[in-house]
Amino acid sequence: METNRPFLVRHEFLLRRLHSLSGLVPVGAYMVIHLLANASIWNGPATYQSAVHQIHSLGRALIVVEWVFIFLPILFHGLYGLVIIRESQPNSGAYPLVGNIRYTLQRATGMIALLFIVWHVFHMHGWFHGEAWRELIDPWGAQFAPYNAASTAAEAVQQSTLVTLLYAVGITACVFHLANGVWTIGITWGVWTTPGAQRRANYVAGAIGLGVLAVGLAAWAGFAFGVRTSDPEAMDAIRAIERRLLQEKIDSGLITEEQASEKSAHFGAPTDR
Amino acid sequence: MAHQSGHGHGHASVATGHRKLADWIDVRVLRQDGPGQASYWERHRIPYEPEMNVISVLQRMAAQAKTVDGRAVAPVAWECNCLEEVCGACTMVINGRVRQSCSALVDRLLRENPGEIELQPMGKFPVVRDLVVDRGRLFRALERMKAWIPVDGYFDMGQGLRQSQSAQEEMYPLSECMSCGCCLEACPQYTKIELARAEGETDEAWQARVREAYDLGFAGAHAISQVMLFNAHPTGRNNASERLDALTDPGGIQDCGNAQNCVAVCPKRIPLTTSIGRAGRAATLHSFRSFFDR
Ligand code: HEM
Ligand code: SF4
Ligand code: SF4
Ligand code: FES
Repeated sequence: METNRPFLVRHEFLLRRLHSLSGLVPVGAYMVIHLLANASIWNGPATYQSAVHQIHSLGRALIVVEWVFIFLPILFHGLYGLVIIRESQPNSGAYPLVGNIRYTLQRATGMIALLFIVWHVFHMHGWFHGEAWRELIDPWGAQFAPYNAASTAAEAVQQSTLVTLLYAVGITACVFHLANGVWTIGITWGVWTTPGAQRRANYVAGAIGLGVLAVGLAAWAGFAFGVRTSDPEAMDAIRAIERRLLQEKIDSGLITEEQASEKSAHFGAPTDR
Repeated sequence: MAHQSGHGHGHASVATGHRKLADWIDVRVLRQDGPGQASYWERHRIPYEPEMNVISVLQRMAAQAKTVDGRAVAPVAWECNCLEEVCGACTMVINGRVRQSCSALVDRLLRENPGEIELQPMGKFPVVRDLVVDRGRLFRALERMKAWIPVDGYFDMGQGLRQSQSAQEEMYPLSECMSCGCCLEACPQYTKIELARAEGETDEAWQARVREAYDLGFAGAHAISQVMLFNAHPTGRNNASERLDALTDPGGIQDCGNAQNCVAVCPKRIPLTTSIGRAGRAATLHSFRSFFDR
């Protein structure tokens, strides 16, 4: 009888442990780095553009890194998270206890995070490459151009009030989910076990959460309000900085003209403009 | 400690002030005539008496066997045994919260919710009739986890190992579990499993089917805590590895979602979430050991 059990049932313990671990590393760790990198917009478009150049300097390896350390872990954590959610029966209405409300919120923010991340990757990255596809989904997807990082990111976030709000909600949900997850993961793996230890760990998780929320909302505010997309002169200045940084890379042979055109906004080589 | 109430579980003596809280008590009860049948609400009304518990309410209701509009009905079925909150048999959902009806004091319930008491069977177990449920899955989980110490044999095994005072003090609270099921009723990860017996199915086939279904479901906080109890026991430790195997099988410790309702509703105040944390740690180490070190 035991061997007839479906894969998800037979390996439930291992899968749950991998789900738990993947929430913290790499997914949680990546999210923190991602928010920090985006908060660097406050130091000006040059800093932000340099950070993006650094990431994209991985070249072809970037795809592998993205899939192995970011996309696949998020997909695993998110989709297996849905399996977990499907099997649960939240009852925070009947038992409105703090732990139980957090349990329900963990699941709600997980689902929000899944929808948000899928949309966010579409909105910025477009899911797939290819000229025809990009034109088709414009202006809904693929709004971010890595070599015009600050200007395109800000335009994307300020596309409409709804988009701006979606980013605030999505970031807040993800951060709550991570912070609450840091607390539960310590119980899951038996790091904090007694009520006293769990209370103290709760303060630590709360502090981590507030810290990451501050970084996340700073990044959001930087793109939502810090960059004034309505001011053409300011935007021209930013684009000029982005062109200069790109030209330096092209001159030093780190980036080909072809790559430059692919990852720049307006689909033209910067030298043409 | 200046004052310790009756059996140590914190029922501070009820203020017996002679004020009559009500003339009548309305009882809304969720009834069901048999397994798998539809449930329905019924209202009964009994005269108020001071210092009743829900069991005495149920006794009055059974004696009159009449709904509030005077219709004669079959007496409401319920279970009880010890009448002092140590057997767990009388557990039901009272005013929306799972607890023992023998220790649920009517005067308090009326203060929370004047005039009316609401009774429901536990929602996570199959109903046998009215407020009586089949808690077989709860006991099956204890079987799965080998929540006992196998010492039966032909020889006198002599004295067990001595236990330290501090170990005893850690273990004693865990041993107070009365298998009532409150922790399971309140747990959002513990979902109801109820099968229907097929036409002409043999006893053996039916029981095997039920057992397989139960074994795939979450074992629950009570069973996890019993693993920690028996694995801490100097003799029980001999079977620690089997219990950890069971704890990492489908429906084991990994199904806990850390909502911590179990510890909040446990009438015996068993530190269930501490057991769960320790069990999580032990289970992970055990799975490493059985993968890399066998
Ligand atoms: C930014 C993305 C995310 C991060 C940083 C993250 C992080 C975490 C962490 C650290 C945990 C704690 C694990 C534990 O308690 O053992 C967790 C749990 C959980 N996550 Fe996520 N997660 C993310 C996205 C998602 C998504 C998209 C879903 C599903 C829709 C999801 C569903 C869940 C669920 C259901 C749990 C609870 C698991 C349990 O209690 O057994 N998460 N997450
Ligand atoms: S801590 Fe685990 S066992 Fe206890 S109520 Fe929550 S999910 Fe259920
Ligand atoms: S652990 Fe507590 S709530 Fe659960 S069955 Fe035992 S006594 Fe009841
Ligand atoms: S009758 Fe035994 S616990 Fe209530």
